[in-house]
Order: sequence, then structure tokens, then C-alpha cells
Amino acid sequence: MNIKITHNWLLEYLETDATPYEIQKYLSLCGPSIETIEKVGKDYVYDIEITSNRIDSASVFGISQECQAILPMFGKKAKLKYNPLEKWSFKNLNSKNYHRSILKIKTDPRLNPRFTAIVLSNIKIAPSPDFIKERLTLSGVKSINNVVDVSNYLMLTLGQPCHIFDYDKIFGSIMIVRESRKGEKLITLDEKIITLPGGDIVIEDGEGKLIDLCGIMGGLNSAVSEKTKNIVLFLQIYDKAKIRKTSMITGQRTVASSYFEKGLDPERVEPAFVYGLNLLEKFTGGKSSSPSYDIYPNPTRKKTIFLSISDVDRIIGVRISKEKIVHILTSLGFNYQLSDDRAKMVFEIPSYRQDDISIKEDLIEEIARVYGYHNLPNNLQPQTYIAQPKETEILFEYQTKIKYFLKHLGLNETMNYSMISKEMIENIGLTVNNHLSLSNSISEDIKYLRTEIFSSLIKNIRDNAGKKSQLRLFEIAKTYLPRDNDLPDEKLKLAVVVNTSFSELKGIVESLFKELNIENSQVKNGDHYLLAKNLQGEIVIDDIKLGIFGQLNPKYQVKNNLKNEIFLAEIDFTSLAEKAKIMPKYKSIHRYAVIKLDLTLETKKSYENIKTIAFKTSKMLQNIEFIDKFKDKLTLRFYFSSNIQNIIENQAKEELKKITLLIN
Amino acid sequence: MKVDDVLPNLNNELKGTKTLNELENIIIKYLGRNGLIHDLLTKIKNIDISQRKEYGQKINNIKNSINQLIEQKKTELVNKKNEETTVDITLPGKRFPKGSLHVITIAIEEISKIFQKIGFIRMSYPEVDWDFFAFETLNMPRNHPARDDFETSFIDYPENKKWGKMVLTPHTSNGQVREMWRVGAPIRMINIAKCYRPNWDPTHTPMFFQFEGLCVDKGINITHLKGTLDYFAKEYFGPDCQTRLRPHHFQFTEPSFEMDITCTVCKGTGYLRTPEVPEVAAGTSGVLSKTKCKVCKSGWLELGGCGMVHPAVLKAGKIDPGIYTGWAFGFGIERVIMIKYGIEDIRYYYNGDIRFLEQF
Repeated sequence: MNIKITHNWLLEYLETDATPYEIQKYLSLCGPSIETIEKVGKDYVYDIEITSNRIDSASVFGISQECQAILPMFGKKAKLKYNPLEKWSFKNLNSKNYHRSILKIKTDPRLNPRFTAIVLSNIKIAPSPDFIKERLTLSGVKSINNVVDVSNYLMLTLGQPCHIFDYDKIFGSIMIVRESRKGEKLITLDEKIITLPGGDIVIEDGEGKLIDLCGIMGGLNSAVSEKTKNIVLFLQIYDKAKIRKTSMITGQRTVASSYFEKGLDPERVEPAFVYGLNLLEKFTGGKSSSPSYDIYPNPTRKKTIFLSISDVDRIIGVRISKEKIVHILTSLGFNYQLSDDRAKMVFEIPSYRQDDISIKEDLIEEIARVYGYHNLPNNLQPQTYIAQPKETEILFEYQTKIKYFLKHLGLNETMNYSMISKEMIENIGLTVNNHLSLSNSISEDIKYLRTEIFSSLIKNIRDNAGKKSQLRLFEIAKTYLPRDNDLPDEKLKLAVVVNTSFSELKGIVESLFKELNIENSQVKNGDHYLLAKNLQGEIVIDDIKLGIFGQLNPKYQVKNNLKNEIFLAEIDFTSLAEKAKIMPKYKSIHRYAVIKLDLTLETKKSYENIKTIAFKTSKMLQNIEFIDKFKDKLTLRFYFSSNIQNIIENQAKEELKKITLLIN
Repeated sequence: MKVDDVLPNLNNELKGTKTLNELENIIIKYLGRNGLIHDLLTKIKNIDISQRKEYGQKINNIKNSINQLIEQKKTELVNKKNEETTVDITLPGKRFPKGSLHVITIAIEEISKIFQKIGFIRMSYPEVDWDFFAFETLNMPRNHPARDDFETSFIDYPENKKWGKMVLTPHTSNGQVREMWRVGAPIRMINIAKCYRPNWDPTHTPMFFQFEGLCVDKGINITHLKGTLDYFAKEYFGPDCQTRLRPHHFQFTEPSFEMDITCTVCKGTGYLRTPEVPEVAAGTSGVLSKTKCKVCKSGWLELGGCGMVHPAVLKAGKIDPGIYTGWAFGFGIERVIMIKYGIEDIRYYYNGDIRFLEQF
């Protein structure tokens, strides 16, 4: 989250000779990042990013404390003028006030670890003093009136949100903090009707109406208005997980909720309460008229951490002196105590850092960042050999090789979401049942984990209609096949789609196998339902199916709203990489003459079949090449040669005759 | 042919010769193995002995003249040939197919190589994993916001008693404890994988790529993380690139940092050089203007999170944090591509638009 505060406001707590720009530079390096700084009139506005663990610093006081620790490291003077956490305490309250008002409170420490409230009477609603109006406006908060402004001013000063009710609108002066029931309704200050998901922290008054969506926004029915005379100042700590959940589900992402959901310090409620009361009495003319209520059954206990210099050394990599360590940590609010063990230092963790700091590494981070990461050298760790599993290496190696090869053939690599829609699944004849689905999917388009890549490639072809006429795409990606009581089988697949021709697709597949030096693969007729009956094949090695290719079955072409035929191939990538070889098998160069003979014939036999017969029939046959096919006429080129002597043309013709007889 | 007719004849023939091939035929006709000169020389035996010497000399002179004439003609023809070829060389040549790799593939290759050079192996871990590896062992308490429905995509699957819920990995860090279990220590690993978060708007895609580095060994400290990331940034973005670490917060590292690099547009100055034309501003010419760079925050760009491996994570990885320390980082690949190549339209990365894909 980001907060905006002004430089002059900061100077109320901090004595420093640093300029606003120096503060920006140095804090960004060693503490909260000041993203922008803007000069407005005589003041400067800081826009500061607060990390989720440092909600304690999301305030003017928090930032001045960071300045106190960081700026001196850059030779700048920086000291807190006073510590508001020590200045404002219940001890300062005048308990002799005449208590004519009361509150009847019922709360639950599980939801609400600390509850504080007090009634102020006879307030006068008016505009705030100018300095408050100006500071709030510069900080991006709209000034409304003296009462509402105090609550915002207090939050930005000390980082503790508060709420102020119109006392007279709380029926029976009864406040019951409880969990909401599912479906209960409440209208918040911004006049939105919120239907509660259930289990939200709310406050009910004496007539059963909900007057507050706790930690997020007050109810409209108990809001302070122009006519308000008596108010309740109300400062709480809530269960942070519940606040976040309610805020996310209801969409009410308020500034208050962004504080509460990070977990606030119950101890800070006290100074904030007293300071808030002080401001209200000063600017509204009201006087406290009830006891100050403080329900805090489990106060935060003190925690300490032991630390030795060598611990610090070991993580940071440079030696930092004990004096420097103590100075850095104490300026951040950690109390240094003498230890019985002389080798170790003991630090007491301030209550507002207890969520964040629990082990010595946490303290070392504080030391290192204030010391300055920019002051540390850049070193490379010593080299050491770590074995990469061979199968992993092969998989990555061939992904690169294959991607480059396909690219050079003219294909475009695409990457699609792993998640697809129900429609995409059904359009290729599958059902969602065999897919893993997301339980909290944000869109029906990305609800199921794909088990194949075709559906995505089909979508790519359709989406690219009219953008380019000839499309050749490929994708290498994991698919996710569900298993019982286990993570899915993440099968890596290669898929290709072209909208040009079957022959082109087959050519791509064949060239790939050739490039990978896979010599023993065979093509058989396929029977995959998704592909056209007579225009598909499977690639087989040693009776193991590696992949399929063919024209998309016209039924699915229509179903997927495709105007023209498309041609698809899918290959199991892991098997492909396993079968691939860096080098082909070397054949010694033939010493004897090779005679080439062409043959055109009409046959019903498949090319694969002809090849098998031909090689069986002639020992002189070295190679067969497919030249052309026109209607039923097939033209082939035969290469004849002998391993032991030169042959003459007639010998070759003799061989071809034998073959022709058998294949016609 | 009569001896005296040879040269006039040749001259005539050469006049009509237009190509080097035709000249080659003339050479064969006159000087070849069975050519005219050879003919005339064989006739020497019919000549009276007293005149043979003179005849021989004459033929030799003719032969020399032929050679000279032919050489002249050859030079003429070669020069002509060299000059007469006229092609519009600005016309395109024969077209070969031009395919493309996905931008992510290109970046993965660049990144893997950079880390390979300093001894990091690339590993691959599940993209659908158990809560145990994605959160529990990464020091994320059960009610941590990252573990809720708004930050992580969960799989509709029965919860496993030992490993918890099944999730789509929201980061590559699920590989950390898995790698620790695989090799123990020392570790030098990068893990590049798809990650998923329930976030889909103009600047977020529900799937994205992260690359993660993990180094565990005796004596590893912050200076090593700083040094490695500075090395990476200079290799990937260029030797001028400056880096810095800023304090940040992540559950699985302690201390945690955000890594920044100097902005590639304003070269770390925070100001544009020529305010009207941002493209030109990337150059080094021009005078620094008062216009702030719109790409970066005061000269720096955030790259991503990193830190020293949290002792709880080492413990979960069965590595003794008293003996070993480590660092880890996880950056978005789309982010580094955007910074290096300026390809900002993230919605095109994964929608298969050919006009995007074919450019790379």
C-alpha cells in the first residue's frame, strides 16, 4: 500500500537538516520507498510505498522514526522531537469528569482483541482548522468537518484507524461486536448496500440494527452529520484475516481496511486514543462524558532476541561494529539490554514490530538495510559443480533445437494459456470430467487445465482468420493429465497446426524426424476420432506410438466454426527427445557406380508397402525416392548399386523388372 | 585450309563471336587436339625438306598470333560480360520461409545461458503443485493473504492429508524445497516456469513466466546475491546497467529485497532528453530536459523480489540453517522483456495473434 504525507507534518515530529529530496533518496535506499515527491506551495508531498510487514511505519510518526535511524547514516542530523507513543497515555486523562453517558458493550476478544471507546458531548460540527484541512488535502484525503477530519488525521499521524459514531443514533447505547450471518444487509457511509457473506465482524445496537462494518466502513445509520451533538470515539483492533476476507468479498477496499488487514499493534491503541480525544476536545469543543472503555484481556507480552556479531557477519558478509548495531536498532525503537552472556546482545522488540520480528535474521535485516545495501560489495559466490539430471538436460536441449528447426521451416511459435474453457473442450469431443478445474476461476474462459494442445491451436487458427492467409503454428507445452490421489501427469507435448495442406504437415513431421536423426520411425494408418478418416496417420517406433497427424475431421471443423480445412499433429515430446540423436548413423561412402531408374505405375498399394516389397526383392536396391503422384499414377525413382563391383544398366533394369512384377 | 587463309579466317570468325562459349569452340577449332594448327603441322611431312624449317616457323608464328588474337577477344568478352549483366539489385531475392520463436523462448534462452556460465543448472518442477511446496514450506502462515482465493488459483481436487490443497503455482518458488530435497546442499539452480494468479486485466495475464534463482552453500551472504544479480543485469541489459537493492518484504526470504536497475529509457537520470519524442529520448544525444521520465520512478526500474533464504525454508528443505545459508530471487520474464525490448502489450503474449508472433 502507499501513503501520502507532507514534509511539514513530518517536521512536527522530526528535527532534521535533510532536504525533502535527500529524505526521498536515503529512505528509498534503506527503508520505505518514497516513490514520488511533489512540491505544493511551501510544503512537499511524499508518496510512500509501505510493505505489508511494516504497517507500523504507515504514518507520519512511523516515517519520522525511519528517518531518525536512516538519515544519520548519510551524515544528516535526525532526531525525534518527542515520542507520541510515550507522550499520550491513559494516565493523562482526567478521570474526574462527570459521567452522564454510558456505553453497554459486549465484545469477543477473538474478533476484537482490544476495544476502546469514549463518549464526547456537546460537540459543534464545523470546518477543521486550516492546517488540518491543508495536510489532509495534500495527503489525498477530502476534508469534511472537524469530527471526520480528526479520525483521518489521527490515522495518518499514528497509523491507527478510528471510527466516530453519532452517539444518539446508537439505540440503547448498546454496542455488540459479533460475527455477521450470511445475507445480513448494511448500508455503509458511501450509501452502498452491502450484503454480508457471513462471518464478518459487525456491530449491532440495542434494536438489532447493524451500525458498523468493522474495520472497513461505518454504517450510514450511525454516521456523524451536521446535526450531531454527541459522538463516540472508537478505536479497535480486529482479527486481520477476517477484515481482509470481508473487504475482498464485498469489494469495499477502504484505507482503514488496508491498515487493519495487515495486523495492527494493540499497544498503539492507547496513545492514539488519548491523542484522538485531545484533538476532538480541542477542535470540536466537546468534552468527554463517559468513562473511557478499554477491553483488552490479553495484553501483548514483551519479547527479546539474542544476537551475536558473528551472526550479523555471516549473513551480511561484512563486519559491522557492535556500537553501530546497537545504534541502528535503538534508533528504530528496539531496546538494547545487557546480557549475561557477554558474546551476545539482547534486544527487546517494540510491540509494533512483534508481528514482523521473531528471529535473529529479522534483526539482521534491520541492521543491514540501515547500514545500506549500497555499501556492500558485489561478489560472485565460489563456483561449484552441480549435476543436472541427464533427462532434464536432454529435454531443454531438444526444446531449443526443435524450436529453432521449426522456426527455420517457416513455422511460428505460439504460447497459449494452460487453462481453457468448457466450450473448447467440448468442441474437440472431450468432456470436462477428465480435466482438472480451478475452484476459484476468475473467468469461464480459463477454468480447465488442458490435456492436449489441439484445442488451443484450433482457437489460434480461428482467431487469426483474416489476419494472414497461410498459417503454420507450433507450441511446445505441458499438458495436465489428472491422476488419482496425486498431482497431474505434466506431459510435455509438441503440437503443430497448418491451414495449407496435408502434404505440408506431413513434410514438417518427416523433416523433424530426419533432423533429429530418428531412423526407425514408421507411419501407419491412424484411427483418431478427431482426424479425418482417410487423412491421418500415426508415427510409431518399435510399436510405441509417438504421435498423430492428419486433417481435422470435418465434423469438428464445422463444430469449431472453421471455414477451411486445417491439419494437426501432436507428438509426445519426452519420447521424441529420448529417441533423438545428435549424430545420424554413419554409412561409408559407396565406391561403386549407382544407377538411377524411374518408374511410373498405377497401383493400389501404399508407398510404405511398395518400399517393403522392393527392398525384400532386390539386394541391389539402395534407395527409393518419391517423385510425383498424379491421380493413380505414381512415379518413383530407384537407386541400384552393388557393394562389391560396378554394375551395368541392364543389371539394374533386370532388378527393377523383378520389383515391378510384385508391386503392380 | 591454306596456311595464309588461317589468320584472315580467324579474324572473320572472331568478329562474329559474341560469347565465351563461342570463343571456346573457336579455340578448339584452331588450337584443339584435332584443330587446324595440328592439321597444318602434320602436313609438314609433305613439304620439301629444305623448306620444312621455314614452314615450321611460319606455322609457329601463326599459332602465336592466334593465341594473341584469342586472348584479346577473351579479355574483350569477359569485360563485356562483366558489364552487360543488369539486374535491379533492389528487387527481393528468392524467398525462403521465415518462422518465429516466441519472445518468451528467446528470453528463456538468454537467461539460461547467463546463469549457465556461472554454474547454475536449469531445473523443471511441477506447475500444478501441493500447497506444501507452494506455501507451507516457504514460511507462509496458513492465513497469509497470498494463500487466499484472491491471490492463488486453486484446483478443485480433494485435499491431501500430507500435502494439503492442490494449486496452480503462483510463483516458481515451489521448486526451492523440491531442489533442496533432491540435492541437499550445495545448490546452484534456476527454475523457469509458467506461473498463475487470478488476475486478468490490461497489465496482468492469468498465466505468466517467472525465473527463479536459488543458491545454497556454506558462507553465502548478501554480497553474493548482490554480485550475482549485478552480473545478470549487466549481461542481460548491457554493461552500463546499474543495480541496487532496496528493503522489501517476502515471507520466504530474510532479509528481503527489491532489486532495481537503472531505467533503460532515461539511462537512470529520471529525466527525458527530448521531451516531445519519447523514442528519441532513449538515445544518448540531446540535452536533459525538465520532463520527468514516464517509464521509471526517478531513474530506477523495479525488477523483482529477492533475498536470503529464510531459515525456516532451509529447515523445511532438510538443510541445517546453522551450517548453510542461501539466496533466492524470482523475477517475471515478461517484465525483463518489457524493459529490454519495450514489448509492453502483455495481452498479445498469449493470445496467438500472428501479427505479434511472426515479428520475432
